[in-house]
Amino acid sequence: MISTATTTRILEVEGLSARYGHVEALRPVDLHVDEGELVAVLGPNGAGKSTLMNAIMGLVPTQGRVRFRGREVPRRAPAAAAALGIVLVPEGRGIFAPMTVAENLELGAYLLNDRHEYARRHARVLAMFPRLKERLSQTAGSLSGGEQQMLAVGRALMSEPKILLLDEPSLGLAPRIIEEILQKLGELNRQGLSIILVEQKAPLVLKLAQRAYLLSVGSIAAEIDPRTIKSHDELVQYYLG
Amino acid sequence: MYQFRWISGLLLGGTVALSGMSDARAQDAYKIGMSAGLTGYAATVDRAWRDGVEVAIAALNAEGGIDGRKVELVVEDNRSEPQDAVTAYRKMISSDKVRVFASGCVSAGNFAAAPLVARAETPMVLCSILPQQPDQVKWAFTTIPPPRFEVETRLEYIQKRTQIRKIGVLHDPSPYANAQKAAAEKEAKDYGLEIVGVEQYKTDDADLSVQIQKMYAAGARAIIKIGLGGTTLTAAKNIKQLDLDMIMLTSLEDIAVFRPVAEVLGDKFFFVASPSQVYDGLEDSPLKTEIGKFLKPWRAKYKDRDPNWAGRGWDAVMLIAAAARKAKSVEGPNMRDALESMDNFQGTTGLYHMSATNHQGITENPLLLATITGGQIKVVK
Amino acid sequence: MNSFNTIWAKGRGDRATWLLWGLAAAFVAYTFATGGYLIAVLQFALIYTVLVTGLNIFMGFTGQVSFGHNAFAAIGGYSSAVLTTTYGWEPLPACLLGLAGALACALVVGYPVLRLRGHYLAMATLAIGLIVYEVAVQWQSVTQGYMGISGIPPIGIGSFTIASDRALLVFLMIVAALAMLSAAGIRRSRLGRAFVAAAGSEDAARALGIDVARYKLTAFMISAAYAAIAGSLFVHAVGFVSPEVFGLPMVVMSFTMLYVGGIGTIAGPALGAIIISVLPESFRTFKDYQDLAYGAALIVILIYAPRGLASLPELSARWRRRSA
Ligand SMILES: Nc1ncnc2c1ncn2[C@@H]1O[C@H](COP(=O)(O)OP(=O)(O)O)[C@@H](O)[C@H]1O
Ligand SMILES: [Mg+2]
Repeated sequence: MISTATTTRILEVEGLSARYGHVEALRPVDLHVDEGELVAVLGPNGAGKSTLMNAIMGLVPTQGRVRFRGREVPRRAPAAAAALGIVLVPEGRGIFAPMTVAENLELGAYLLNDRHEYARRHARVLAMFPRLKERLSQTAGSLSGGEQQMLAVGRALMSEPKILLLDEPSLGLAPRIIEEILQKLGELNRQGLSIILVEQKAPLVLKLAQRAYLLSVGSIAAEIDPRTIKSHDELVQYYLG
Repeated sequence: MYQFRWISGLLLGGTVALSGMSDARAQDAYKIGMSAGLTGYAATVDRAWRDGVEVAIAALNAEGGIDGRKVELVVEDNRSEPQDAVTAYRKMISSDKVRVFASGCVSAGNFAAAPLVARAETPMVLCSILPQQPDQVKWAFTTIPPPRFEVETRLEYIQKRTQIRKIGVLHDPSPYANAQKAAAEKEAKDYGLEIVGVEQYKTDDADLSVQIQKMYAAGARAIIKIGLGGTTLTAAKNIKQLDLDMIMLTSLEDIAVFRPVAEVLGDKFFFVASPSQVYDGLEDSPLKTEIGKFLKPWRAKYKDRDPNWAGRGWDAVMLIAAAARKAKSVEGPNMRDALESMDNFQGTTGLYHMSATNHQGITENPLLLATITGGQIKVVK
Repeated sequence: MNSFNTIWAKGRGDRATWLLWGLAAAFVAYTFATGGYLIAVLQFALIYTVLVTGLNIFMGFTGQVSFGHNAFAAIGGYSSAVLTTTYGWEPLPACLLGLAGALACALVVGYPVLRLRGHYLAMATLAIGLIVYEVAVQWQSVTQGYMGISGIPPIGIGSFTIASDRALLVFLMIVAALAMLSAAGIRRSRLGRAFVAAAGSEDAARALGIDVARYKLTAFMISAAYAAIAGSLFVHAVGFVSPEVFGLPMVVMSFTMLYVGGIGTIAGPALGAIIISVLPESFRTFKDYQDLAYGAALIVILIYAPRGLASLPELSARWRRRSA
C-alpha cells in the first residue's frame, strides 16, 4: 500500500454488486481511489470489469453504495454521476459514428452551458490530441481505431471529469498506438486527474498505475502494488489464484 | 464530358418516360375509364366487374361500337386504396381524356375521387354506393340496388314462409353492411318481426359463436347475416357445432362461396340471389332475355363463373352506350343528362329508372331468395 | 455550425447531387407547366415528405423504430375532417387541435412504450397504428366508419382558400421545404445531437449525462407532430377521409420512402417521397407488370445505393476517387 499522509479518497465503493438475470456478474466489491491516483483494474475476459465500471456509473441495476468525495452517488442515475464528475469511456469507445468529431466533442460537454468555458476545454483537448484538430469536420466513423479512442477520451475530458473511468482503451489497437494513448493518460494523471484504468493486458499498465485490483469471476481476488511485481510470472500466479 | 453524357442521357430518358405517359392514341375512340381494386381487399368483386365491362365492350364493338365509334376501356388499378384511386382518376381524366367512368366497388376510392370527377364534369357509373355530397351525386350513378332490398327479400320470406318472429342481425363494419343493418332495424316491424340482437364482427374473425349464441339466447331463430367472405362459412359451422335450431339467411355474393355453406347447414341456409345467378330457373321475361344476351359471351369466355358482379359491369356499359346514343355527344354534361333520362332501361340486374332525383336506378326489388339442395340451386321466393 | 456544414458539405460542388436536385426541379417544373395528373402525384409526394421527414427524426436521427406513425397522421387528419365539416371550424385551428391531440397521444403512449427496445418497440407502435385504425372504423357517430367523411374544405384562411391545383402544389412545396428546414435545424441543434447520440450508443450517451429516455420521448413527439400535419394536409388536399387512408399501406409506403431516400439524412425523405411516388407512374404503361417493374427498380436502388439515394453523391465521389 502507498501510504502518503495527506491523501483523501475521491471514490469509495462499498459492497457493490450487479446481476444480469440469474448471472451474478459482480459479487459485492469494495475498492477505493485516492485523489490524483491512477488505479488499474485487471482481470481476464468475463471477469466482470466492464460490469464494475457500468455499476459505478449507474448504467446497470446494482446493490451497494458508491461515494464520491464523501457524497453518496445516486444509483441508476448516470446523469447525476456525470454531473458530479464521474465519466466513463466505455468499452468499444462508444463514439457517435454518424456525427462529426466536433459534434462528438460537443456532446462530451453536454451539461455545460458556458461558451467561454467550452472554448477553453475545446482548446485544451485539441492541444492534447492535435490529430483530432485536423479531423474536426470529419464523421467520427471515418476515423482510425486509434483516433476514435483519442476522440472518446477527448470527449470525456470535455466534461472536465474529476475521475475518469476507462474500459479497455487498448482494445483492437496496434501496440504503437496503445503506447501513445497510455502516455497521454499518464500525462493526465500527472496533471492531477484521478483515473481507473481497466485492462486485460497487465504489463501495459503496471508501469503507469500506482495501485491495481485483480478481478476474477466477479470479485476482487487481490490488491497489488505494481512495484512489488518483479516479473510477468509473478502476475500469472495472481491470475491463477 | 462523361458527366455531361450521363446527365443528358438521364434527362432524355426521363422525358421519354414522361411523354409515354400522356400518349394519346386512337383519337376518335370513345374512352371509358375504370378505377378498380384489381388488387387489395376488393379484388374478387372488382375483377369480376372489370371482366363484365370488358365482355360488354367487346359485344358493343362487335356491332360497330357506339354510333360507329369504337369503344375503348382504360383500366387503372387503385389497389383498393383511396389515395391510389385519386391518382388513377386524375390520370384518366387528364392524360387519357376518358369521357365517362365505369368504376368499381371501392367506395372509399370513388368517394375520394368524387370532388375532382365532379370538377371535371365527367359522369361515372359505379358499382359502389353513391357519394354523399349533393354536388358529387350529380355526376355519379350506380348499378347496385338500394341496400334495403337485400334485407327486405329476407324479411319477407321469414314473415310469409316461417313461424319465426324473433331474428338477429350479424354484420361486418363495411358501409354497405351498415346500410343493410340500418334498413333491417327500421323495417323489421313492418314485417311483424322483432330484432332481438344486433352483433358486429370483423371480416377476418375466425369464430362467431359468441355473437351467435348471444342472439340465440335472446330468442332469435333466424340470423340475417350481412357481409362478404369466409365468415359465412364460419357462422354456419358455429351454428352446427352449437347445434342451434336456427336458420341463416345471407346477403348477395358469389355462389361459389355458398356451396360449402350449404353442405354444413343444408336446408337451414338461404341466400339472396340476383336474377343472373339463377338464370336457368327464371321464367321468360324481358329480364331473362337481357341476362341471356350477357350470359352468352360471358359463359363462352368464363364458363360457370358467377355472373352477378360482372352482370352489373355489363349493365354499366349498356347504360353508358344507350345514353351516348341518345345524347349524340361525348361531352360530360350531355352524357350526364342522358344518363338521368335512362328510365325503364332493362339491365341484367333489373329495370333501371334513372332520373334527375334518382341516380340509383333500380327501384323495384329484383332480388330472389334461394337455397342449394342436393347441389342444385333452387329459388324459394 | 459544424454539423450544418457537414450536412450540406457533401453535396457542395458535387455533380451527382446537383444532378439529383436538377432532375427533381426539372420534374417539378415540367409538372407545374403541363398540369395534368402528375400534379396530384406530386402533391401526395410533398405531403409524404412531411410525414417521412418527421419519421426520420425518430427513426433516422434517434435510431428508434415506429410502425405506428399512421396513428398520428390519422389523429391529425380526422381532427381536421371532423372539425371542419361537422363543426364548421376553419382549417387552421382544426389542424392545430389535431396537432395538439397527436402530441398528447404521443406523450401518453410514448412514455411507457419507449422503455421498450428493438422488436418490442416496433410491435408496440404497430399496435398503436392498429388501434387508431379500429377507432376510426368503430366510432361511427364521429368518423362515420368506412363510409368516410366527404366535403372537407380546401386549405385556407377565412375567405382565402387554396383551391387551384397549382396553388396547392406551391403551398405544399413551401410546407415540405419548411419541414425539411426545421428538421435540418433540429439536427444541428443541441437537441438533435442528443437524438443522434441516443441512436449511436445509448449507454455512451447516458454515461455523458444525456437523459436518453427523455430525448427519445421528445423525438417521438416531434415526429408525431409532423405526421399529424401531414394527415391534415392529406384530408384537405383530397377532400375526403376514411380509415383506409391511414392504414398499413401508409406505413409500408413511408418506410420505403425513408430507406430509398436515405435514412438519417436531411434530403433523403424528400428524395424518397418523390421517387417512390413517381416511380410507379412511370411504369403505368407496363400494365400488369407495373408492380413487377416497380419492385425491380426498388431492388436496383437498394443494391446500388444501400444507404439511400441521398448517399449517392458520396458513393460516386468514392467511385471517382478509386478510378482516379
Ligand atoms: N448484458 C449482459 N447480459 C447478461 N450477461 C452479461 C451481460 N454483460 C455481461 N454479462 C456477463 O457478465 C459477466 C461479466 O462480464 P463483463 O463485465 O463484460 O466482463 P469483462 O469486462 O471483465 O470482460 C460475463 O460472464 C458476461 O457474460
Ligand atoms: Mg469488458
